[in-house]
Order: sequence, then C-alpha cells, then structure tokens
Amino acid sequence: MKKLFLIALIFIGLAKTTRAQDFEPGITDKEIEMTAYDKDPQANAVFLNEFGSTRIDEVNDHVRLIYTYHAKIKIFNKEGFNNGTIEIPIHHNESVSEDVDEVTGTTYYKDENGIIQKAELDPKKVFTVKDYKYGSTVKFALPALHPGCVIEFKYKLVSPYIDYFRDWYFQDDIPKMYSQYEVHIPGFWTFNASLRGVLKLTKSASEVERECFISGGSKADCSHITYGIKDIPAFVKEDYMTARKNFLSAIFFELVEVTNPYTGVKTVVTKQWSDVDRILKTSESFGSQLKRGSLLKEYIAPVIAGKTDELEKAKALYSWVKKQIKFNDYYGIYSENIKKAIETHSGSVADINLTLVTALNAAGLNAEAVLLSTREHGMVNTLYPVLNDFNYVIAKVNIGNNTYLLDATDPLLQFGLLPLRCVNDQGRVVSLNKPSYWIDLGTQQKGATTRTLELTLLDNGKIKGTIISYYKGYEAYERRKIIKKFNSVDEYVEDFDEKHPKLKVLKSDILNLDSLDNPLRETFEVEIDAYDNNNHDRLLFNPYFWEKRTTNPFKLAERDYPVDWGYASDSRLVLVMHLPPQYTIETPPQVVAYGLPNKGGMFATAFETQDNNTFTFSNITQFNKTVYDPAEYPYLKELYNKIILTEKGEMVFRKK
Amino acid sequence: MKRILTALFLLSAITCVKAQDNYDTSLIPNDLLPYAGAVVRNEETTVEVKDFDYTLCHVKKAITVLNKNGDDEAGLVIWYDKSNIIKDVKGIIYNQWGKPVGKFSESDFDDESQHDGFSLFTDLKLKHYQPRSTDYPYTVSYEYDVKSKQSLDLENWHPLASDGISVEKSSYTLICKPDFKIRYKPINLHVNPVIATNKQGLQTYTWQISNLKALRSEPYSPIYRERMPSLKVAPDKFTYRGVSGTVTNWKELGQWQYEKLNAGRQQLSPVTVQKMKELTADVTDPKAKARKIYEYMQGRTHYINISVGIGGLQPFPAADVDQQSYGDCKALVNYTQALLKAVDIESYYCVVKSGSQKISMLPDFASMDQGDHVILCLPFKNDTTFLECTSQNMPFGFLGNFTDDRLVLACTPQGGKLIRTPKYTAQANLEQRKASFTLNAQGDLSGTMITNFKGVNYEDRDQVIYESKTDQIKDLKKIYPINNLEIESADLKQYKTDQPYTTETLKITASEYGSASGDKIVFMANPANRITTPLREVRNRHFDVHINRGYTDEDEITYTIPAGYKIDLRPKNVKIEKPFGRFEASVTVNGDKVIYSRKLQIIDGDYSKETYQDMVDFYQQVTDSDDDNITLTKGS
Repeated sequence: MKKLFLIALIFIGLAKTTRAQDFEPGITDKEIEMTAYDKDPQANAVFLNEFGSTRIDEVNDHVRLIYTYHAKIKIFNKEGFNNGTIEIPIHHNESVSEDVDEVTGTTYYKDENGIIQKAELDPKKVFTVKDYKYGSTVKFALPALHPGCVIEFKYKLVSPYIDYFRDWYFQDDIPKMYSQYEVHIPGFWTFNASLRGVLKLTKSASEVERECFISGGSKADCSHITYGIKDIPAFVKEDYMTARKNFLSAIFFELVEVTNPYTGVKTVVTKQWSDVDRILKTSESFGSQLKRGSLLKEYIAPVIAGKTDELEKAKALYSWVKKQIKFNDYYGIYSENIKKAIETHSGSVADINLTLVTALNAAGLNAEAVLLSTREHGMVNTLYPVLNDFNYVIAKVNIGNNTYLLDATDPLLQFGLLPLRCVNDQGRVVSLNKPSYWIDLGTQQKGATTRTLELTLLDNGKIKGTIISYYKGYEAYERRKIIKKFNSVDEYVEDFDEKHPKLKVLKSDILNLDSLDNPLRETFEVEIDAYDNNNHDRLLFNPYFWEKRTTNPFKLAERDYPVDWGYASDSRLVLVMHLPPQYTIETPPQVVAYGLPNKGGMFATAFETQDNNTFTFSNITQFNKTVYDPAEYPYLKELYNKIILTEKGEMVFRKK
Repeated sequence: MKRILTALFLLSAITCVKAQDNYDTSLIPNDLLPYAGAVVRNEETTVEVKDFDYTLCHVKKAITVLNKNGDDEAGLVIWYDKSNIIKDVKGIIYNQWGKPVGKFSESDFDDESQHDGFSLFTDLKLKHYQPRSTDYPYTVSYEYDVKSKQSLDLENWHPLASDGISVEKSSYTLICKPDFKIRYKPINLHVNPVIATNKQGLQTYTWQISNLKALRSEPYSPIYRERMPSLKVAPDKFTYRGVSGTVTNWKELGQWQYEKLNAGRQQLSPVTVQKMKELTADVTDPKAKARKIYEYMQGRTHYINISVGIGGLQPFPAADVDQQSYGDCKALVNYTQALLKAVDIESYYCVVKSGSQKISMLPDFASMDQGDHVILCLPFKNDTTFLECTSQNMPFGFLGNFTDDRLVLACTPQGGKLIRTPKYTAQANLEQRKASFTLNAQGDLSGTMITNFKGVNYEDRDQVIYESKTDQIKDLKKIYPINNLEIESADLKQYKTDQPYTTETLKITASEYGSASGDKIVFMANPANRITTPLREVRNRHFDVHINRGYTDEDEITYTIPAGYKIDLRPKNVKIEKPFGRFEASVTVNGDKVIYSRKLQIIDGDYSKETYQDMVDFYQQVTDSDDDNITLTKGS
C-alpha cells in the first residue's frame, strides 16, 4: 500500500512538470546565426523567449511566493552588451527577506573558427548589493559576451510577501519575440489581475490543478493561468510623459481575499472600497494614527490660540506641521507613530500628512486623508481597489464650500498647492467617519507669471528702467526654490546680476518670499548696456529680449503618448518703452493671435503707441490644460513654432 | 567606598561639562558668514599608526548649519569594509543657542553598499546619517573611530571640504612610533606642523588652521587641489592588506605595484599566446602588431568592475579576463599587457587620475591615492603610445579628454616613473562645419551640413553614433538648435586613423527657419553653433583663470537666397583677439549667395584673475554676435 502511494505521488509530480510551460533550455542554429531581428532591424538585442512563473507553496514550513524566471536574449552587437548584466531588485525588512537562488547563466557564442562555444556563469560571481534599509539588488554579468551571442539565464526568487503577488512586465527597452507568465494560485487566495498597456494577449488559458497546495494537513486546488504576448515592440520613451509604468504593457495582481489554510478563517483583503476603508480605519499605522487627536492637543493649542476663522486655523496648523517635522524622503501611506515623528522632527510623507490630518481634526476642522500615487509611481486603478497602487498620502481640509489639498513635506509650498509629483489623475479620500471616494487631483492651482517692464532708452545707448515680476502658484513655488538655493536674498540678486553681464541691478526688492500665500514679487531697477552709443541711424530691438524662446521643445512629428505638464500656465508681459526724441519706430513688433483648439491655449501680442516716443507692447502665453493628448500634439507643436517665429521679429528704431 | 565612587563619577561628569565646547551660533565670527551654508566650528582628525597593520583614525567634528543649503554638510558618511571597521559613533544636535536638543548613535545610521554607478560589485560599504532639525541655525557635533588593518592609506586632511563652507578651527594630528617615518606635503597650507613627543614616547605631528572664509564657485577656476588647503601624508614603510612595502618616491611606488601586485598575473594559456602570434604573423612593425592586438582585445572584452579586498589596487589575472571576457580597468590593462607580451611587445601599466579636468601626479610627492584609473603605455622609440583599455570603440592610441595631457605613473621593470600623456591642443580640437542651404521665399531652409570632429572632439558623437538610425535622428534634432529641424538623412562615420576624426553628414530641412512677412525674411545667421548664455561675471574674483582645454570651432554656412531678394540688414562683422581666445564672424554676399562664417578659438592655459572680466566681455560679444539676424527684402 505504502509503495503504491509513493508511485502515485511520483506520477503526480511528473504530470505537474509536463504541464509547466517553460521553454526548453538551449539554442538553435537559427538563433545563433541570426544577425538582426526582422521586426525591428535596428534593435541591439531581442528577447528570443521569456518565461516567468509564480506559485504559492510551502518552503521550510513557511508559506512563500515562489517566482521563477527564465530568459533567452540574442545580443546582436556591443551596444547590446548591457543586456548581459542582470539586476534583480529584492525587498527585505528587519525580520524577513526575499531571496534569490538557483541562478544559472550560459552564454553561447561562435569563436574565431565558427564553432559554437558555451560559457557558464560562475555562481560565485552572483553579488548582492544593499541599496537601502528595505531594498537590495542581486547582480550578475553573463561571461564571454560576443557580438552575435545568445545568453540564457534562470533564477528563483522566494518571497515572504505573499500579498504582493509578482507583477509581470511584457514590455521592455528591447523587443521581445515572446513573453509568457504563468501563475498558480491556490484556492485559499484570490487575486484580481489587471492588464495594462496597448498590447493584446495572444495567449490566455486557465485550468485547475488538483491539490497543488498542501500545507499542514490542508490542501487546495490551484488556478493555473497563462498569459502570453507575441512580437512585443520595444518601449520608446517620449519627453513630458508620466511614469513609463503607465504605458508599458504589463499585468498586475492585487490580493482580494485569503483563507487561512489551517483555521479556515476567511479574510477579505480587498474587494470593495468599503473593505479597504475598514482595513485602513482599523490599521495601526493609518486609522489608529488618525485617532490620536487628543495626543496632539497640547501641541496645537498654542498654534490656534486666539484664532476663530477656520481657514486661519488651518493655515496655522499647516505651517506648524511643516515647521515641526522635516521630510526624510520616504514615501508611503502608513505611519508607524506620528508622535515619534513630532518628537524627532523627522518623518515620512505619511508621518507628516497624517499628523496634519489629525491636527486639523483635533482643532475641530473637517479634514480627511487622500491616498494617491505619485507621477513616477504610475496611475491608480479606479475600477476596483488596489491598495498597492498608492504610495503617498496628503491631507484634504474642507472649509465652507472650499476644499484644500495639502502636503506639508515641503516648507516652500503654499497652502493649497500640491507638489507636482502628487498631481497624478485621481486620489482616494479616506476619513474615519465616511465611506471613501475619488477626487480629481488635476490641479486646483496653476502657474502664472506677470512681468511689467518700464524702460527708457538713454542717449548714451543704455536702457534704464524697472522690471516687476509677479509669480503665482507653481511659478512662485519654483522661483522661491531658486531664491532659497542662496544663503541670502543679496546673494541671489548678486548671482542674477552676474549672470547677465550686460545688465546691472541698481536696486532690488523681493516681496513675500516667506509669505507663501501671497504672490511673490520681484522688483529690479536695472541698467542695460544695449548699444555702444546712440549715434546709429537704425537700432534693432527685440521686445522679447527678457526671455526669448528660440527652439521648439517638441521635436517629434507625432507622439504616441500624451504631453503631461501637470499644471496649466499663464504668462504675461507688458513692456512700456520711452525712446529718445530723435528716434521713431520704423518697424513695430508683429501683432498676432494664435490659439489651440477647444480653448486649449493661446499666444497673442498687442502693440500701441502712446505718443511719438512711447510705446506699449504686451504679450500673453496660456496653456489651459494640464494634459494634451496625442491628437492635440501637432497643434501644440505648431503653436510653439508660431511663438518662436514671432519672437524672432525685431523692432527697428530709426533716427528722425 | 561607594561614596568615593560617586564623587569620582561626579568629578568626571563636571570636567565633561567644562570641557564641552560652546556651540552658541552667535559666537561665529561675522566674516565667516558670507557665502556659507554651514560653518565648521571645530574639526579634529587624529590618525594613530599603532602598527603596520593597525591604524586608528579618530574624527571629532562640530558643524553649524546656517540654512537649508548647509544640511548636507552636517550629514555623516563613513566608509567601511572587512578591514576598515567603524567604532564608537556618537553625536549631539544643538539648537542655535548651543543647547543640546537631540543625540544619535550608530544604530540610527543607514547601511548601504557603495554605489559608484559603474561597478557590478564592490565590497566597500557605507553608513550614513543625516541629522535633521527644522530650526536654523543648528549645530551637530559628533565623533567616531575607524580602525583600519593597514598603514598605507593614511587619512589626508582637507579642512575646507568644498565651496559654501567656512571653518572656524580645524586640526590634524598624526601619532606614530618614532621609527615610523612619514612624508607629508602641505598644499595651500601656510602653517608648519608642531612636531613633538608625547608622554608615551610617540612622535606627534600637528597642523592647525583657523578662520577660513567660505569660497564660492568661480567659472574657470584652477583645479580643486590648487584652490583648497590640504595636507597629504604617506608612510615610508607600510603594510596594505597583507602586502608590505617601502616607498619614498615614485620610482619605489611603481616598483611596488610592479613587483608586489602585478607580478605573476599575466599568465595566458598557450592557445591564447599562439593566437596572438598568428594574429600578428603577417605584420612586422611592432606598432601595427600592437594595433591588431588592441583591436582584438576591444572586440572580445567589455568593462565590468568587481572590486573585492585588495582588488582595488591589484588586477585580476589575465587568464580570468581571457575566460570571462570582462574586467575593470586594471584587469583589462593587465590582460592587454599580457597579450602584447606574447608577441614580445613591451608595455607599462600606468596609474592616472582620470577625468576631463587634467590633474597630474604631484612630481614631488609619491602616493597611491592620487590615481583612480589605469591605462597602458607602449614605449615605442620616439613614439610613445597610450591605450585606453576599457573602451570597445576607442581608436588605437587615442585617449580623449579622459586621461590626456597629465603626469601618470608608469610601472616599469626599472621602477616607477612619471610620464606625460599626449596633449590635444586648441588647434587640434576642431569642430569644423560646412553647410550649403537654400532658403525659399517662405523662409524654409533645406540643404546639407557636414561637420568634422577632430582631437578630443572625435568623441563628440559617441553618444549618437552607436544608436539606431531612428534614435540618431531623434538625438541630433535635440543637439542642433534649429527650429523645425527635420533630418532626412544622417550619416556618421568614425575614422580610426592616427589622427582620428568623426564626420557627420546631415541632409536637413527646417520649415519657417526664417520668418517671412510682407516683403521681408528675417533669419538667424548662425544656425547650428550658437553660444546663448553669456559667461557670468564674478565680482571680487578670488582665483586666477584656468582654461583646462582649448578648442577651435569653424562654421561656414552658405545660404542661397530666393530670387528677387537682397540683403537689407546684416550683422556687423566681428573680430576679437585676446590671449585666451579669438573670435571672428562675418557675412559676405556673392550674387544670390550669403555666406556666414564664424571662427571661435579658446586657448587653454593659466591667466591672471584680472583676465576674467575680459573673458566675460569676450563671451558677451560672441553671444551677441551669435544672436544676430540677417534681413532680406524683396528688392526693386
């Protein structure tokens, strides 16, 4: 009986191996002879085949995620050699770690005599480099790379983080002939899978594997799902786009529910937003932190003392948090302990902004937390809850009919202005007493610059006058950052002066540098060495001299992905110029007005003369949208072209 | 008994408080504040050589951060590995009045592997900690020890670590046995050491410096070493990772590298030796042989750095490289040397300080820490040739701007000697452009533009040339500031001759390059090579002017203008001659051809600081000229 049982087991084992769909190791003559990839002849390298598989199984009495990876890459030339260095990021914390082992690698190449040679990776040359507290990289380099070689490598990664089921990126910087991913998910777990990107699956199959998971006396069947795509083009990056992750073809997994294999207790991890809300509200590092308002009372009492207006209170608390906790550059949505952050003056995004939400509520205001994903981190899934998508949390305070989104990680941010990294599609508002809901992060704020130049051309050829610039929203934030790079305002002005050799700053004034909620005002009284003297018959003058645009930022004829600037912008210039009596205007500047379809933006100029010797020239550039889709791109490019052409035009002053 | 102990403890506690420095920020002298983001209040570096294989370095530092820009200066980064062990790190944070508000110890540090951006792996690790305070100014004081199992690499002293910091007080002390001889070289350091014998009978050398004002960065400054005070210290006799040596000059240092580190690492299999002989059988000239072997090496290796233990100084064996096809600079140089030896060509392993900025080995002070890269020297008679062995594409004998024109340490069988790598002169570094364009009445431009790159400019298109055609065109469109540039074809070629050069032939169009309105067309005279940002001024300049490398740009652009148009406004011809550079720009008309020509030459060298304003004026004139337009009108 015992014997029979053993045979049956072996048989099942065999059946399992035949079902696994990993490709056969080794190379074919065709692969080694290949000199270019016909679907992308310029590619330096191509994946001939790629296979990945993730299963949940028991490893040394622990349930683990077991991921195996196998790839075969053809390298056509030396420029493709970088594909022969493999880097595998792994995660760890104080107690557990992901592990990579069973690394094998082979390089196949033809030697000088045309004979195919094989070089194996030395297992001693697989290195682990620690990147930071929670991350390392396993690295190895395939030996004996030659132009025309084929490399093949495999590894196994065992992870304790079962909730973070391995995602799979079909697309990479080089093309792939075929890429396949298989998952084996025991019935104890349920995951949501979501496919992203423009490519369609060319293979999709699922079957049930009988009793594929056995642990501590419990067993379960598995869903075995296969995803495959053929002929995957290389991913080509474009300027002004958000995270490449948003556009790469990939499949993502999110844990929905888990049944404890030993007790049978079912935990719904994420299914509905109501479930997520409950998890967050009861989480030690989220909801519990938001409930620590009483703890903050002693800190906030002096901050809001004497203030009755809600907005005033909110602003005071926002400033207090910015001053109290310095950002330590860690992102995340969970805070271990907001009190510790307050006491050590150092904290993560979550430490800082959950403190803010808690403080606002403790002061009797209506504040909520907003989960979001930063621009580099990619778009969030709005179809169903995917908690792993979020990597950032901010505060939302509701005062009267107004809503303000607040991030206290940067002391230079004005009340209600989010740093650009946060402006990414939608955020999920979470509070202790209401169901969560989506809000648009698409900006409440834009960037605006208004400049007034009042200048006089003097008889000695110099131009003298006053330049006043107002910066608002993002423009104010950016300008403040520039100024604060200097140790003092004087050093900033000195630098500005020195960077413009023809210009001398006679007097300067910077207003509202630290009053963040007001527009920043810069006043420079200047003298410019415009002409060597005033004896010329004709003088050329470019009214855009202060900031002339000369090259189009858009070079591509067309785009595949949207142009995403993050915020709308508005910049205006008014130039009032007084000429000496002996000069008159021969050529005025061009008066133009160009617009984008659907009021997407515009560029316009105006010109008028006050008297014989004074003229006013003004122009305005507006981009009203934060994102322009590929269909709008040609218009955007053409608008820039028109701006550049117009700004090239010089005025001519002629001696009477 | 118990009482005495308490008393003792109290006593020591009291002395502690007394000895503690006062870090009230109001005590900082006023002249240390301008341009400073942080002020070093006191720094004490003590290096104690206890034995040949035991050096203890003790660092004690207090630094006041004045504003956000100084935050990084308060951060600690301590390197360590198996033979450099960090001990006893502790620190205190003070508020602006010098009152302690926090403390930290080793457990607060983050631990990481070294990330140099180019190594696959090194065993060097680092611990770092960034003290944080939201109130400025604040002061951080800390101290730590690093115990090191060697005596070659003695800590050098850089009291003024960078621009934007000032120093109230800094000192450096070296303690060693009387028979442990050291050499030292002060650079820009105008203090003499106090040499004494301490109570234990050990020799002590102490340097101290105070009140160094903050410097700010000035364009065209001399190299760091010539700007900042520093002290270099090296032992006569040492042990480094089990290898001992005696070095008092470059000859002995080169000898040590040659005999103790490199010897015996050049064995190759008989197959490879035979292969080299066959490869070079049909040529007799040694230089031609060497070229063949160099190109063979380039074809079958690539650069990967793995640095473990003494691997920082010692090359991997040639046989390993032969098998793995990769190595770091030391391994690839050693491998090439071995390949050359197979056909009896002599070559020298040369240690160099790499980088675009030319930094020579100090002729009068030999030490290992001055170099960071290795190249190979072939001492042909009257034709010394250098090879960069980490590049798969560099021409034979070409160094580019990475290791040109500087003193390097050649490790020869007769010992080390300093030799200078070849210089690429201002005339040799040439970017030469000729274009022939047609401009139509709508302002559209079309034509061919050919550019030659010579000297160090040979490498100017290296980022582009190995890309796919599609990417080449994408990148070239970003390089040239021509509005609406479309590149119909791009042909890039590199000629790996003795004077290597690159050619780029572009067929381009640019719609509305000129702005046409009414009967006028306005267009920029200089389409391809404009300087748009003038050189900044520097009031009260501190340092002399240093131009690291010269170059020459020549542009000649011929425009065929539309029929019926003639030139209305043209830029002034410009000609400037200065010791540091020349500039010429002119527009001439010949029938329907308008020819713009421009020549800019910058001449490397050292100039007085007064010259700087001249350079600002020079560049302003160049910038103005480069911005000039030509106006055509439809003539009657």
